[in-house]
Amino acid sequence: MEQWQVVSAVIALYLAITLWIGLRAGRGTSESVTGYVAGDRSFGLLVMYFVTGATVFSAFAFLGGPGWAYSRGAAAFYILSYGVLGIAPWYYLGPRAARLGRRLGFVTQAQLLVGRFPSRSLSALVAALSVLAFIPYITLQMRGAGIVIEAVTEGKVPLWAGAAIAYGIVLVYVLVSGVSAVGWTNTFQGIFMVVIAWALGLYLPWKLYGGIGPMFEGILAARPELLEIPGLTASGDPWNWGAYSSAILVSAVGLTMWPHLFMKAFTARDDRTLRRTVVLFPTFQFFLLPVFLIGFAGVLFVDDLAQADFILPHLILSVDLPVIVVGLFCAGALSASMSTGDALLHATASVVVEDGVRPFAKLREGTERTLMRVLVVVAGAIAYFFALDEDQSLVVLLLSSYGIIAQLAPPIVAAMYWRKATTAGALSGLIAGSAVTLFFFLNPELRPWEIHEGILGLALHLPVLIGVSLAGKPQSSEHVDLFTHPNLPERAP
Amino acid sequence: MRLRQIRLGVLTYFIVLLAAVVWPGALLFRAAEPLILGLPFSLFVPALGIILGGVALAILDQAEERAASEEAGGER
Repeated sequence: MEQWQVVSAVIALYLAITLWIGLRAGRGTSESVTGYVAGDRSFGLLVMYFVTGATVFSAFAFLGGPGWAYSRGAAAFYILSYGVLGIAPWYYLGPRAARLGRRLGFVTQAQLLVGRFPSRSLSALVAALSVLAFIPYITLQMRGAGIVIEAVTEGKVPLWAGAAIAYGIVLVYVLVSGVSAVGWTNTFQGIFMVVIAWALGLYLPWKLYGGIGPMFEGILAARPELLEIPGLTASGDPWNWGAYSSAILVSAVGLTMWPHLFMKAFTARDDRTLRRTVVLFPTFQFFLLPVFLIGFAGVLFVDDLAQADFILPHLILSVDLPVIVVGLFCAGALSASMSTGDALLHATASVVVEDGVRPFAKLREGTERTLMRVLVVVAGAIAYFFALDEDQSLVVLLLSSYGIIAQLAPPIVAAMYWRKATTAGALSGLIAGSAVTLFFFLNPELRPWEIHEGILGLALHLPVLIGVSLAGKPQSSEHVDLFTHPNLPERAP
Repeated sequence: MRLRQIRLGVLTYFIVLLAAVVWPGALLFRAAEPLILGLPFSLFVPALGIILGGVALAILDQAEERAASEEAGGER
């Protein structure tokens, strides 16, 4: 049997196991919308840990991370720097949101926002912004899956077909089992990708250089500029401090504001589970370290790869690994892509229906679930269309989504903690912040010190939110108490 | 009172970590040398930040749990 055939067999086996887990997962869940979107609020610690970890670490980390380490060196360290900073506030925000969800029946983040700031426009705006950020993110995951399969099958299965096969499977289990499939497949995929990342991250430097220390000594002697923060740009010039620092800031602010992650607060069984997930999160984050080691292993070994995102599969194939290991690696990378992609597809559909359609049209519960399933397919199709465009780096795709998502942070925090916030303030802040973000995204040359457009958006967003809120009529105390009272009772109103 | 101090301590840690990874604080930790445990200094610092962040969150969690169970005990 040829190498690519063995690899394909391992991938097929992996995909079959994932599908089996995904289909089985939905069996215990109710047929309600809460069942499809929030898993009947029944996720325990194990599943929550992997849902959070595997959802955050995606094809972006598994392929984009090594790609950046290889081509841009220390620039990649920003990815390592923001995770713990971003998750820490979730220790308090998450359980508060979850309690509100149980009490007032929320299953999406926009419902929480609109609960505090009643406005259908706000709901539609949040839905639109979420989808705008989701599509490039799903695109990235699909491209990741396609890249891996194309590389390891020596081009026999091209990117378009690889992405279609992997995401065909994702579609099936998300359609059938909803968020329960996302939870249980992420647990399987999370374990898989962590093991593979550590195994390769330690093995490749040892095999190519004799160890991690000798590898970095070699790079230090040949290309010292790669190891100094803030690293390099894609074209090889020194990167800018403004861009590096603001990438960390916008990612930390945006991390838990991603609707697919935020909504998982509503899936947790209780507050204790959510808090423990936050405490354990750094252990998952540490898995970025071997991912970078893989990228650095390529620096002195591979000359000028046309697309840096291909570095990991390229190295795997050039280092004489047993063919079964190549197959396992490939499955690990697919895990990273699919564990995020499934959560994203599911969240896109949930958000569009719950926040974009339901406030405007009355739907029966059955119709709602059907509409969500249709939209899962539509979102998948749109992202797939963009995934075939080969011009974008995976990390760049993700960073541009973060700018939009970060704009959700001020109204969310205000909804749960700031008594004086008003609907007009939240809405105008969100519009102003998003408009600035989009403006600088479209005109990047106008950004001062190359600061990330999301941070520039926040710079206008916050004063507008505060100014308009203080200038307007405050909300009634009884209404505000429902959201900001520190000891929210669990009962339904 | 003790819970308050721990909360303040953890908050301080995360503010210091933020200051250390973005400009201008990161200027102190940008260099590749020395290599520590085989890793460049510029990579070792954020990696250490993650480990200590995990420890800080675990300490916070312990304190919050203790305070919550004391409060529940007091109410009964």
